[in-house]
Amino acid sequence: MAWAPPPSAAQLYRPNRFVSLPPELDPATYDTSPEKLRAEAERLAIRSRLKRQYLLQLNDPNAPAVIENPALIRWAYAKSQNVYPTFRPTPKTSFLGAVYGLGPLLFWIFVLKADRDRKKKRIQEGKLKRSPLSVFF
Amino acid sequence: SEMSKDMLPGPYPRTPEERAAAAKKYNMRVEDYQPYPDDGLGYGDYPMLPNKSQYERDPWYQWDQPDMRHNWGEPMHWDFDMYIRNRVDTSPTVVPWHTMSKHFLLFLSIMLIMFGLGEIYPSYRPVGPKQYPFNDLYLERGGDPNKKPPAVIHYEI
Repeated sequence: MAWAPPPSAAQLYRPNRFVSLPPELDPATYDTSPEKLRAEAERLAIRSRLKRQYLLQLNDPNAPAVIENPALIRWAYAKSQNVYPTFRPTPKTSFLGAVYGLGPLLFWIFVLKADRDRKKKRIQEGKLKRSPLSVFF
Repeated sequence: SEMSKDMLPGPYPRTPEERAAAAKKYNMRVEDYQPYPDDGLGYGDYPMLPNKSQYERDPWYQWDQPDMRHNWGEPMHWDFDMYIRNRVDTSPTVVPWHTMSKHFLLFLSIMLIMFGLGEIYPSYRPVGPKQYPFNDLYLERGGDPNKKPPAVIHYEI
């Protein structure tokens, strides 16, 4: 009778949202197929093109004072100015908007009102110790 | 900045040509480029990169920006400012996360339950009321020195 194969080291480790899999346990580190090599070569070509552009600007004697990074500009733009044009009201976004926008407001309204009502009841029953020197009501 | 409109992020790419153009814009391979799902949350065509912090990148490679471990022109993660080395670190841990959380929660819950039980059912050696000398501290408690204090005897012979 054939048992199931024992769990692999990566399955025993169980990476999640907070920790990632170490490369030693990742089977992708050990595969040397030609597709992977070609992918790595393409990525290296892109990286070296960018590095050449960067170094040309860095070592240029007539260079501008600040070498702007287009990736940084795109990142800042995407996070600030590109959010409103790409936003679309869907059931999920409307629900999240209601929860995050109205939720805390209504929660605190009810909590504070209940607290004040309880204090008023205690004062009316005479249970609350009120010192005449207090500046708070 | 002086970048043209097609170099800046835009809406979600729908056709394969738009995807290829977006991959080229972000300096990524077309196979690597994966935008965020089109939920209308405001991501647009920004690429979804793996959620790994900058701690995990090779410390010995000659990065263009060594403190950020980031190269010029490389697409930045959406939460880049969270994943810098001063902040969130997703490096692999020595002990797996589920083992760590199991040990911690077991310990915490057992200690809290035992403390709670100790509050509900306290147990200590039998005690009696405290006995004070000098007739139950008659003078120290403001008794009249001219009057004879009431005799308080704590022993039996």
